[in-house]
Amino acid sequence: MTENAIITIENLNKHFKSGDLLSKVLKDINLEIERGECIVLKGVSGSGKTTLLSIMGGLDRPSSGKVLVEGESISKLPDLHISHFRAQKIGMIFQHFNLFDHLTATENVMIPLIPARLSMDEVDQKVHSSLKLANISHKAESTAGRLSGGEKQRVAIARALVSDPAIILCDEPTANLDRDNSLKFIEILGQLHEMGKTIVVATHDPLFDTLSFANRVVPMEDGSLVGSISKGLQ
Amino acid sequence: MSEILLSNQVIVYLLSESILFGLLLIAFIITLEILIKWDFGSYSEQQFRLERRAYLVMTILLFVFVVKFLLLIYFVFAIDSLSLLVPGAMCAAGVISANDYGMLLLLLKLLILFFLLLWMAINRYDLQAKNYPLFRIKSWLFVSIFLVIAIETGVDFAYFGHIDTLEPVNCCSTLYGQLEGANPLPFGLNTMILLILFYLLYVAVMASALSSQRVSFMVALLLFVFIAYYSVVYFFGTYIYELPTHNCPFCMLQKEYYYVGYLVWGALFVGTYLGLISSVMEIGLKVERNRERMVALALLSIFVLLCTGFVAIYYLRNGVFL
Amino acid sequence: MRNSPFFHFLTLEFFKERKKHMGVIAISLVILFLLSSVLFISSSIRYSLEQTLDQEPDFVVQRIQGGERVSVPTEWMDRLLEIHGISSVTARVYGRYFFKSKEKSFLIVGVDFMDEQSHKALRTIMDEVDLREFLKGDNMLVGGGVSHYLKSHFYPKGYTFLTPKGAFKKVHLFKVLPRESNLIANDMIIVPIELAQEIFGMNEEEVSDITFNVPNDDEWANVEDKISSFHYDLRVITKNDIKKAYENLYNYKGGIFLILFLITIVTFVLILYQRYSMVYSSERRHIGLLRALGWSINDVLKLKFFETMMVVIVAYILGVGLAYLYVFVLGAPLLREIFLGGANLHNVITLVPVLNFGILSSIFLIYAVPFVSAVLIPVWKIAVTDPKEAML
Repeated sequence: MTENAIITIENLNKHFKSGDLLSKVLKDINLEIERGECIVLKGVSGSGKTTLLSIMGGLDRPSSGKVLVEGESISKLPDLHISHFRAQKIGMIFQHFNLFDHLTATENVMIPLIPARLSMDEVDQKVHSSLKLANISHKAESTAGRLSGGEKQRVAIARALVSDPAIILCDEPTANLDRDNSLKFIEILGQLHEMGKTIVVATHDPLFDTLSFANRVVPMEDGSLVGSISKGLQ
Repeated sequence: MSEILLSNQVIVYLLSESILFGLLLIAFIITLEILIKWDFGSYSEQQFRLERRAYLVMTILLFVFVVKFLLLIYFVFAIDSLSLLVPGAMCAAGVISANDYGMLLLLLKLLILFFLLLWMAINRYDLQAKNYPLFRIKSWLFVSIFLVIAIETGVDFAYFGHIDTLEPVNCCSTLYGQLEGANPLPFGLNTMILLILFYLLYVAVMASALSSQRVSFMVALLLFVFIAYYSVVYFFGTYIYELPTHNCPFCMLQKEYYYVGYLVWGALFVGTYLGLISSVMEIGLKVERNRERMVALALLSIFVLLCTGFVAIYYLRNGVFL
Repeated sequence: MRNSPFFHFLTLEFFKERKKHMGVIAISLVILFLLSSVLFISSSIRYSLEQTLDQEPDFVVQRIQGGERVSVPTEWMDRLLEIHGISSVTARVYGRYFFKSKEKSFLIVGVDFMDEQSHKALRTIMDEVDLREFLKGDNMLVGGGVSHYLKSHFYPKGYTFLTPKGAFKKVHLFKVLPRESNLIANDMIIVPIELAQEIFGMNEEEVSDITFNVPNDDEWANVEDKISSFHYDLRVITKNDIKKAYENLYNYKGGIFLILFLITIVTFVLILYQRYSMVYSSERRHIGLLRALGWSINDVLKLKFFETMMVVIVAYILGVGLAYLYVFVLGAPLLREIFLGGANLHNVITLVPVLNFGILSSIFLIYAVPFVSAVLIPVWKIAVTDPKEAML
């Protein structure tokens, strides 16, 4: 484990049992991600990259092995702590945006802050600056259901950033976007990278192959990592 | 069927108690399963399921505590209104003593509330730690609470099923009054010494709490409740009723006295509960519980002020003591 | 609370998703409305009864022979007058007079208007009656139900009674008793004592019973003991005995309702359990997302708990409020018949608003405890949703 590692994964296995059938989704994964790195997990759907992302984000638990984030194991934390971890350290961007369609952009962005017992003023301030960062302030009071795909994605980014997490996890972020919006998304991602966020993108979109600021592309196949193409830190 | 069992309030009360018991039974079965199968180090699906089920136990206990607390007030109120149906009873005191179960039931209720509160304090601490360090203690605590509540629910039905509406009961003046000059106070105390003890113990409680003397705080607190009970019944109560011969812990809960009894006894018992819980947590589990202790001190101070206030107001108004 | 993001979000969700709660609130409303109405009516009647009973004399002395009530000799009155602490000793003559058809009957009460009345309500009625005018001829005071009945049978001015001796006795209707006394005096006819004795065919030395008051409550038991020993066939009834009998009767009627209500509650609980299990399973993704965004199980539990409490409280306030309007403003049409029905003359009474902690807390507990208990397990089930649901 290097000193600068923010995420360390050791001998990670994940299997699901359905009846007598044991399906191994992740097999002996070892991965180390450094602070400020931008990593692209590449693979076809079913290769296990979403599951790996879920486990890194504390949304799912491994069947065996270790996941350390900032030196602390997160694979066996009680709910209160793992939830706190998700709220504080992780910004999630989902494939389907996963917004609450009946709420406004502002209200959507507010959600991760609610358990934190902040005052309304503090929340307003954080939401405001986060919307600005994602370049969607002009739609702050619009209902999420009425936004376009690209706008939805930017609200989702604002929501992922609102608690100022160190790690941003993106699950197929461009799957539901056209090329234009995908490029815009990548541009915002670049800004986040410059801000020093650690970014992990799980995707099969070829647009990310040529990502100028990606430090590493890690191909995944059938639940295993198959080598990695390192580009070195910029 | 006894007409007592058909009284609205008794039906509502017994129904609520039965529902709570049903929920607790679910929680009890889950707790047994947890106690047998729990293995925190395991990554198995079973362990995660148990951890989730522990939350159901918590949810049920929280709900039970809130309802039991409301039901205690409701119980006292219901008993009070039953005094119309039971011959000879002027207030809850008579109805409570209508059979042997009444007093036992009231004591059980006070005890159960205390232990539920203790369970919640332990649970809170347990959830905040990273490896459920107290889960066995709290599970066994719940198992014992469940057994006591099972007894209580039985006594509930026994009590209300055995109130005779023909047999006259004693009213509070015979139950608590000084008959033939006999001294009702414990250890042959007289009123003067009782009062001195009351205030001395209050000072002791405050002093030991503020100087973090945990064991002496707990001892002082227990002695204080004991003495405070007698002080209210045999001294402060008479100023609430403005009648030197009226000794009764229940009449002050009535409308005639603006329900002040709920405030007096509420402040004393809740204050004591929180104080005891902070001590148990600190001595037994080595956990700092400053907030509970401070709230406890505030409530006990309100209680003492309230009691003293009744005497002071009476004196200011009438220029004499009773 | 306004400064809390949690409550902001709670109310936001509640109002934006209010359709989801409408069904449950509607069922709750019906149940609460019925229950509150029944309890309001029964407690209002009970209150009126108590008010009326307070007017009754403290003691009634009767004579029992062979288990049957028989006439009391008037000489007993003199013995009663000798006891200290007794006041307003009054002789009464009363009995049921069956109307022609034998279906309906009046309660005829004969009063000695020259004595001080131990019955406080009668005393106030007497104060308003011009006694000299009243005693001049054969006059009667009648309750509302009697007046109504006579009018509808074409006896607007008076009635001719048939005595057991076969003679006719014509009595004029002098005045109708005030409405407030209808609960007890609905089918009552008040006449001078001699007239009542004549209608019932009794001697002048005989009365139905003797009433008196004992102003000092502490003496009641004493007086009761003393009088009981006068005569082996004498029976003393105190006002408290009557009060308890009524109390039991109305507790009983209310209690029967509550037990019927228990069956409804069980159904209600099952419906709620089903309904919330359904609603919540449609929310799985929704809650999974909250969990993925950093909400703990406790946070979701808190959200759902407050949401449930809002449903409970909204339904409670609306249900109880509607019942209040229905019972005390509209006078509880239909439902009142169940409580007042069975009386032999049509009764018109005003329900006096009675609202106290006992009723309100009983309604709340019997509704909220089963409600929340039914929702508890579905709430927990949804709260422990895996955050990975958001990824699916």
